[in-house]
Amino acid sequence: MTEESKNENGKDVKVPNRRQALMLGAAAASTVVTVRPALAQTAGSILTCEIPVPDPGNAGNYIAPDGTVVAPGTPGAVPPPGRNLAGEEVKQALRNGGSLPGYGYEQSQAYTNYIRRLQAGQSGFTCYASIQMPRG
Amino acid sequence: MTEAVFRADPPDARRCVVLADGVTVVYHRPSGLTHILAPPAPEVLAAMSEGDADTGTLIARLERDHDLSGTDDLRGTLTARLVELETAGLVWRP
Repeated sequence: MTEESKNENGKDVKVPNRRQALMLGAAAASTVVTVRPALAQTAGSILTCEIPVPDPGNAGNYIAPDGTVVAPGTPGAVPPPGRNLAGEEVKQALRNGGSLPGYGYEQSQAYTNYIRRLQAGQSGFTCYASIQMPRG
Repeated sequence: MTEAVFRADPPDARRCVVLADGVTVVYHRPSGLTHILAPPAPEVLAAMSEGDADTGTLIARLERDHDLSGTDDLRGTLTARLVELETAGLVWRP
């Protein structure tokens, strides 16, 4: 059995012999769920990303208590940490106000203040941004 | 009142896999996102592949291939489905 019918332009179109029933559903029902891998990646990257203090272009300079980068030996400033700070330990220090593992209070304050001043384009900014992002 | 016109990416922008339990997994290449679609969302998306459409045009396309007699408010429910696809980024208003 074959059927023919007119479409909206008046042209003949072939119609399948048995059109399958299709329920468009209740208006309140949801039929689309989106998997968001970007969030999962963000959650993972917090554990592994690192923030250089200061950025490589200022390597060797000291960090003032307010987080600004100053010349080595500047009174009141602290020497750089000597290693990249891990995203996870920075996250803990920012959240709890505590010290970074292996560093004293003054050093930790200077380093976290430096990180708070990071702006887009600076080394470590993406890591800092991902730390601040709530996990979904 | 003019009806909203919707647009979807061409079929080759998507990789669709129909699973045994009737749901369709859609990988949308432009966004890199994966969506899980239940009927009638895959059918609506397929009908959108023929080109921009408002709900009236889309109903005509769907009726050509499917029996829609089980749904009372075709325009209302189809609009709800389109808004879901729009939220997911699979269709949009050009």
